[in-house]
Amino acid sequence: MKLNRVFPFVMLVVLLAGVLAGCGSPATSAPNPTGGTGAATEPVVAPTEPPVAAAGGTLIIAMNLDDVVTLDPAYAGETTNLFIHINTYDTLVDIRPEDLNTIVPRLAESWDVNPDFTEFVFHLRKDAKFASGNPVTAADVVFSWNRLLNVAGAPAFNLDGVGKVEAVDDYTVKVSTTVGDDGKAQPLPQFLSSACNPSLGIQDSKLVKEHGGTDAKDAATTDKAKEWLDQNSAGSGPFVLTRWSPKADIELTANKNYWKGTPKFDKVVITHVSDPTTQLQMLEKGDADMIGNLQTDLVDQAKANPDLTISVDQSLDENYLAMAYKCPDVIKTEKPEVFTTLQSPDSFAIMCKKEVRQAVAYAIDYEGITKAVLNGYGTRAPSIIPIGIIGVDSSKTQGRDLAKAKELLTAAGYPNGVTFDLYYASNATRDTVAAKIKNDLAEAGITLNLKPLEQSVYLTQMRAQQLPMAFGGWTPDYLDVTMWTDYFGLGDRSIAFRMWFQNADANKLATEIRTTSDPAIRKADVEKLQAVFMEEMPFTMLYQVQYVHAFRSDLKGFKFHPVWFVDLFSLSK
Amino acid sequence: MNLIQNLIRRLLLMIPMSIGITLLLFVVTHIVPVNPLAVILTERSMDDPEAVAAATQKWGLDKPLPEQYIIYLGNLLQGDLGVSFKTKNPVASDLKDFLPATIELSICSFIFAILIGLPLGIISAYKSGSFIDQVTRVISLLGASMPPFWSGLLILFVFYYKLGWAPGPGRINPRIGAPESVTGLFVFDSLLKGNMPAFWNSLSHLVLPSIILGWFTLALISRITRSSMLEVLSQDYIRTARAKGLSEKWVILKHALRNALIPLVTLVGLAFAGLMSGAIMTETIFSWPGIGRYAVESAANLDYPAITGTTLLIAIIYMLVNIFVDALYTIIDPRIREG
Repeated sequence: MKLNRVFPFVMLVVLLAGVLAGCGSPATSAPNPTGGTGAATEPVVAPTEPPVAAAGGTLIIAMNLDDVVTLDPAYAGETTNLFIHINTYDTLVDIRPEDLNTIVPRLAESWDVNPDFTEFVFHLRKDAKFASGNPVTAADVVFSWNRLLNVAGAPAFNLDGVGKVEAVDDYTVKVSTTVGDDGKAQPLPQFLSSACNPSLGIQDSKLVKEHGGTDAKDAATTDKAKEWLDQNSAGSGPFVLTRWSPKADIELTANKNYWKGTPKFDKVVITHVSDPTTQLQMLEKGDADMIGNLQTDLVDQAKANPDLTISVDQSLDENYLAMAYKCPDVIKTEKPEVFTTLQSPDSFAIMCKKEVRQAVAYAIDYEGITKAVLNGYGTRAPSIIPIGIIGVDSSKTQGRDLAKAKELLTAAGYPNGVTFDLYYASNATRDTVAAKIKNDLAEAGITLNLKPLEQSVYLTQMRAQQLPMAFGGWTPDYLDVTMWTDYFGLGDRSIAFRMWFQNADANKLATEIRTTSDPAIRKADVEKLQAVFMEEMPFTMLYQVQYVHAFRSDLKGFKFHPVWFVDLFSLSK
Repeated sequence: MNLIQNLIRRLLLMIPMSIGITLLLFVVTHIVPVNPLAVILTERSMDDPEAVAAATQKWGLDKPLPEQYIIYLGNLLQGDLGVSFKTKNPVASDLKDFLPATIELSICSFIFAILIGLPLGIISAYKSGSFIDQVTRVISLLGASMPPFWSGLLILFVFYYKLGWAPGPGRINPRIGAPESVTGLFVFDSLLKGNMPAFWNSLSHLVLPSIILGWFTLALISRITRSSMLEVLSQDYIRTARAKGLSEKWVILKHALRNALIPLVTLVGLAFAGLMSGAIMTETIFSWPGIGRYAVESAANLDYPAITGTTLLIAIIYMLVNIFVDALYTIIDPRIREG
């Protein structure tokens, strides 16, 4: 009888223990720093280590790490990866935040480019060593880039147009571009800029091979190094990856062998905090030394705290409105199979009129959007090519002009107004902006129907050229003007393709920009292309984001980089 | 004997149920009219027909649906949940990464909810209408009606930012770092390795999220306990017990509570499973690397293998808890066993 009474409670305890043991045991292989190869460091947390000892040696950054799904440079294609990779792997060449239009040496001391941009020869510095102690050689460059190409993961596009990577001698690498249908090597003028992308960082081939890595043609299926590279790094950069717990934190340890000198921090922990308010609270409490982007409505709170320093930085990230360039009847003859799948064909028929697109551009209250969404921390370039790029003249930016918008609508044959559909991937910011645009256009007599979509549905339809009007964003992967002129100007590429923007002038100019590195020609062409964009108006830039960064005032050396956030090596306390 | 047989039968029934779940999931996820390649490939490689063809083949998307399902089922029987489109890791290993954090938080919230909810329910039934009954009512109402994304931020603001009594978000202070992993449960692992700073720190990090996550369950438990106790306390056998001259404590805890427990056990079982799967908001606010975020992201990305894997796992947890609860009934109430 007595046993009967106690039994339920015993069962409960047994259940809890069972859950603990049963579900807990598979986790033995959970992230755990290992130093097995002698390359990385020893396990980080010795159980007896005192808790907050030598706090000066550790830098804590609180930011949103939701986008990180892998840390293997051959697979990783998300924004945060760029930040982690540039601090663990060295690239051959570099672009410093002080001057975004000049490429400077990093692992390569110097380089030669032939006049056609079909051959690039890099001369490596001879004193650079990987964190493992192995020297950085041409063989490592060949291995890293071939692995990237053959694994064919998300960042492989950085090597688009590269045909062959070969080692001339131990410290010389030759890159040749792909051969086109005409039997000639294709020019690749943006390659030096792409080579600055952190995904093209150089891996220690010996170390990666030890962990199952390969650069063979079938690497997509035979390479087994990802699991190891998710928890360790094999680079020559200032820091070494020592732990990654998904959605929790990333721990980097100083590379004492770094060829530029020893980093100022022994350890950097990047901890995942998704809520912006909480990030700022951690910064104010001193639990973090630096945070990711400060949400602009929190800037006043941060400014009020004397222990914090605020830095407002111009980014190249932009949001735009894209409008279909071709009419349904043209699409019907060119691509009948796409014609039948068009979303809102009526909107296509309206959008394809130049005056309507111009009217939309004139009707939007850009200042109001910047104020509402970014609290004023944003700016705008005249066309889709952002401020900060050679040839972009911000004085030409056109703002709102309702009278002109109405005039253009009348010219287009819609004196009594018109109705069409805007598609976008719904999120809080875009919902706000779209509602604002709807209001703005209403004042010009345009009725805009908002069609918010699930991100994946939006991307699918946009890629299939089905949307008459779309609201999207663009973030550069490398700092060359072709990052914009190619994808928005060439009719067979990306956004231009998806929005049917096939314009002879734009094609010609964008092609010329692609095939020259002469800054004077490029500048002149960008100016002309900007004028074409403004006349044809297939895209209107809504805003170019300024990021606000906040850190503890005792942190020195912060310099924002528009591609990879910040170089940890330059930071000190 | 009957109990054991019943248990085995129920456990075996889980197999066809699991298969049914995978079939349902497979059909539902594939009805959605989007292209999974959008997740597998990047923005720019989608324009490359070669990359599209290679990926389609690699992920088996070119095969007819029934064949895709048979392949999936075959792999599942060998314990292979497939590879996530998004993380490119085996789903099983992703789940292994995220499950311990969720289990640790659920258990803590569950203990919190029972330790506070049960006594509150008993007292408010016993002293029905008193001040403490009113207080309990308010606590329950708050727990049931405050959305965690709001109460979570509020509790962090007050107890972390303003008062500094509790640590901030995350499972452990980054300066201390995660303890060496055995089970993935930080509190347990640090204790096992004698890493006391990590033990206390991870324990303190559990307090606020457990309160937020457990509050709703606490509200349920205290309300159900109260009403169930009130009903039992009005029964004749309680009057008899009191008339026998038994102490009030004995009457409440032995005679009344045991009989009031039956509806509670059902509820508590489901609530525990609910804690395992319903922690998404709490996990987000407290930057807790649990399974909820993983589930949401896999759904948003239409990551078929990850969606199926997480749903299957949560379904199995529900089924196990249900079986356990049924078994528990028969122990608490012999009449059910015979019936």
